[in-house]
Amino acid sequence: MTLKISDQILQSVEKPSRYIGNEWNSVHKDLKDIKARFAFCFPDVYEIGMSHLGMKILYHLLNDQKDIYCERVFAPWVDMEEKMRQNGIPLFSLESHTPVKEFDIVGFTLQYEMSYTNIVNMLDLSGIPIRSADRGKDHPFVCAGGPCAYNPEPLANIIDFFMMGEGEEIILEVMDAYMEWKDSGKDRTDFLDRIASIEGIYVPAFYKVEYNADGTIQRMVPQGNYPQKIKKRIIKDLNETYFPDRIIVPFMDIVHDRIMLELFRGCIRGCRFCQAGFIYRPVRERTPGKLLEYAKKLQENTGYEEISLTSLSTSDFESLGALTEGLIEEMEPKKVNLSLPSLRIDSFSLDLMEKAQKVRKSGLTFAPEAGTQRLRDVINKGVTEEDLIKSVTTAFGGGWNGVKLYFMLGLPTETNEDIEGIADLGNKVVSAYMSVPKEKRGKGLRVTISTSSFVPKPFTPFQWEAQDTMETLKEKQLLLKSKIKSKYISYNWHDPELSFLESVFARGDRRVGDVLISAWEKGSRFDSWGDHFKFNNWMEAFRDCGIDPAFYANRKRQEGEIFPWDHIDVGVTKKFLWKENQKAHDGDVTSNCRLDCSGCGAAAFGGGLCHE
Amino acid sequence: MSKIRFKFTRGEQVKYISHLDMMKVFERAARRGNLPIAYSQGFNPHPQMVFGLPLSVGVTSEAEYADFDLAADMKPQDFIESYNKVLPKGFIITDANYNQGKNNIMATISKASYSILVSSGKKDGIDTICKKVEEFLSQADIIVRKETKSGAKDVDIKPMIHGIQVLIPGACNEKEDKNSSCLSPFIEEYAQRILDNSVDGQCSKSDHLFCVSALLSAGSAANLKPELLISALNQTADLEFNVLKIHRTGLYVERDRRTFDPLDFEILKVV
Repeated sequence: MTLKISDQILQSVEKPSRYIGNEWNSVHKDLKDIKARFAFCFPDVYEIGMSHLGMKILYHLLNDQKDIYCERVFAPWVDMEEKMRQNGIPLFSLESHTPVKEFDIVGFTLQYEMSYTNIVNMLDLSGIPIRSADRGKDHPFVCAGGPCAYNPEPLANIIDFFMMGEGEEIILEVMDAYMEWKDSGKDRTDFLDRIASIEGIYVPAFYKVEYNADGTIQRMVPQGNYPQKIKKRIIKDLNETYFPDRIIVPFMDIVHDRIMLELFRGCIRGCRFCQAGFIYRPVRERTPGKLLEYAKKLQENTGYEEISLTSLSTSDFESLGALTEGLIEEMEPKKVNLSLPSLRIDSFSLDLMEKAQKVRKSGLTFAPEAGTQRLRDVINKGVTEEDLIKSVTTAFGGGWNGVKLYFMLGLPTETNEDIEGIADLGNKVVSAYMSVPKEKRGKGLRVTISTSSFVPKPFTPFQWEAQDTMETLKEKQLLLKSKIKSKYISYNWHDPELSFLESVFARGDRRVGDVLISAWEKGSRFDSWGDHFKFNNWMEAFRDCGIDPAFYANRKRQEGEIFPWDHIDVGVTKKFLWKENQKAHDGDVTSNCRLDCSGCGAAAFGGGLCHE
Repeated sequence: MSKIRFKFTRGEQVKYISHLDMMKVFERAARRGNLPIAYSQGFNPHPQMVFGLPLSVGVTSEAEYADFDLAADMKPQDFIESYNKVLPKGFIITDANYNQGKNNIMATISKASYSILVSSGKKDGIDTICKKVEEFLSQADIIVRKETKSGAKDVDIKPMIHGIQVLIPGACNEKEDKNSSCLSPFIEEYAQRILDNSVDGQCSKSDHLFCVSALLSAGSAANLKPELLISALNQTADLEFNVLKIHRTGLYVERDRRTFDPLDFEILKVV
């Protein structure tokens, strides 16, 4: 069935382009050749979801299979949701405007915890039961993957199965198993049973959780012959795996409206607060030759005017110089810009900056994360004040005049001195600007200091740590605000309320899933969109469900505690993470993977830097 | 370096794209198709493209125009063919020619014609409606309240109306001899969809559907939006029109008080 959305409705909502489809390179298939339909759902609006590289890769990978049709689904904005509910229009796919309920598999990507209420809302709008246990033979399977899936437990009662790790291989294995199962005529459980043996698949219904009297987990019991540990999947050699040669070119402005060239996966650094730094190990690079080839094809097939290099720490890419030179040579005559995000301060070179500048000047962002060297050592952020000042001075000399500095408040062992250190660092950046001769520097200095609140994440050395209470975080924000006096510096901060909830769901267990559904019932959705965040809903939901959020957010864990995510194997061992936690408290740094292997466990995957 | 002027259609599939986003669509398509669009000099080069009168979101058109500077010569026919291969569904270039004149499309537009599909809230037949419209046009002035950036003000729109005709969609086939009363296929198809009930929520009986065709002032000097014309008809001509669809059928430029098609030889020739 194909839905027709009337012009009357589309005319009455904000940004109707969100619901239209038909963009260049979007895929339209004849249903008669299709054996399995996959609805790729991003639990946020179009312009956020369309900026996500993982979706672009898997969308074209699935659609390159002739019997599979993958379509996109985004969360309708609140105005559209209202119209849809008024007019009885179910959630639909962008390509063919098919109701999501008619798909075979509905897959959500989990990019941030505060998008979870949108998943519940999207299932409800689709007419698919919210709880896995309530789905029957007429419903699609609901699966999920992405970084937040590494702690799947808060969504364990909602999602039928999770795919752990990188999706390029596992998703095709699941689709094959599905097509086989579909022909077999067997029941739902049979399919889940079949895929439970695929490495990286986690079916929460097949596991039972037992708790201790104090509310911590005693053990996780497989209800049958299912793996004790679910090992994440990785692509061993990125040069051999699929990368699309075309991507959808949206009609409207999206957040990252450009070609994204993925240089490598994983990160050599091991900053102790950063989940991505651990869950994506080992580091695996693409060759510059391969990347140039992708860039060329993508540019020709999209007509985009900008290419960005993406990865966790772009300047750690071994052949960055050769790659940027090659890209500039190829793209400059075509008037295509090159942007270099997430550059680390220490390896930031004037040379590279000037080369990128030749095409176009883009803004500068640095993330020292902490205000003093002591605290930067605790978090293993190997950046010194000298590095920062040298880099910004160089940048100011090159004509840049805007610098953004990112910090975190509430890091383990933080004191007032560390907070004041943030303001000091800001002042030193202003002085660095003043030290550059007037004729060389750009006019109108803007220094922006932004602080987020530290959220302890699973699979990091800080997974045992307590998050500061919201009151403490607010006090810290006020302290920093009072210390920033320069007229060149502006200060932004995040709501501690949102970070508090993020903390609960990042390290939550199965029991917090009910809170999620309850908050949604009270009207919560789009929680990461300031205006729509209703903190009171959440506090009421915690009360209604008899859950103490502080147990998850503000409690320091013992070394031996069993975590809700302990049955997931990301390669990096718990033993290693604990060792790192102890080193953090001692202020000892750990060197990066390229200098010295610290034996984190990721070598078990047999690929990447660990085996070079 | 040469300049090219082209005419294009904006169809149903792309009618919700804003004017700015549409310019981006053409820029990216030009890159895909390796069209030799000229870029401005300087630090931040941008393509030398000028588009005619922006369309409101939701409005389709068969007569949009743009002027592009080309860095290398390209025959208009090749330009049309190459571009159409790389434009998203819904945008079609239908005509093009070298623009050797000095004028740019945006600055010289003076009139636009529209077909406005409406449903009537009254039981009036076509003859009654035509009579009411005639009376409407015979007024000395037609004052309406117009919302502007600096607040609402009264404007006389009479000088901005250059003709109105009301027709019944679907009636075209019955009177093939009178070519002038045929409606644009865009309107006919859309009206048919409404009648077939395939456009939900807008169900109307066939005898309540009308098409108002109007030639109105357009451009920077004086501009009358079709929505405002309909609301003026409703306010002062005892009509109850509900706009279902607006479609632009033509855009015209002016020289020496004469109105021309933007691709007219008179306009494009060397001056």
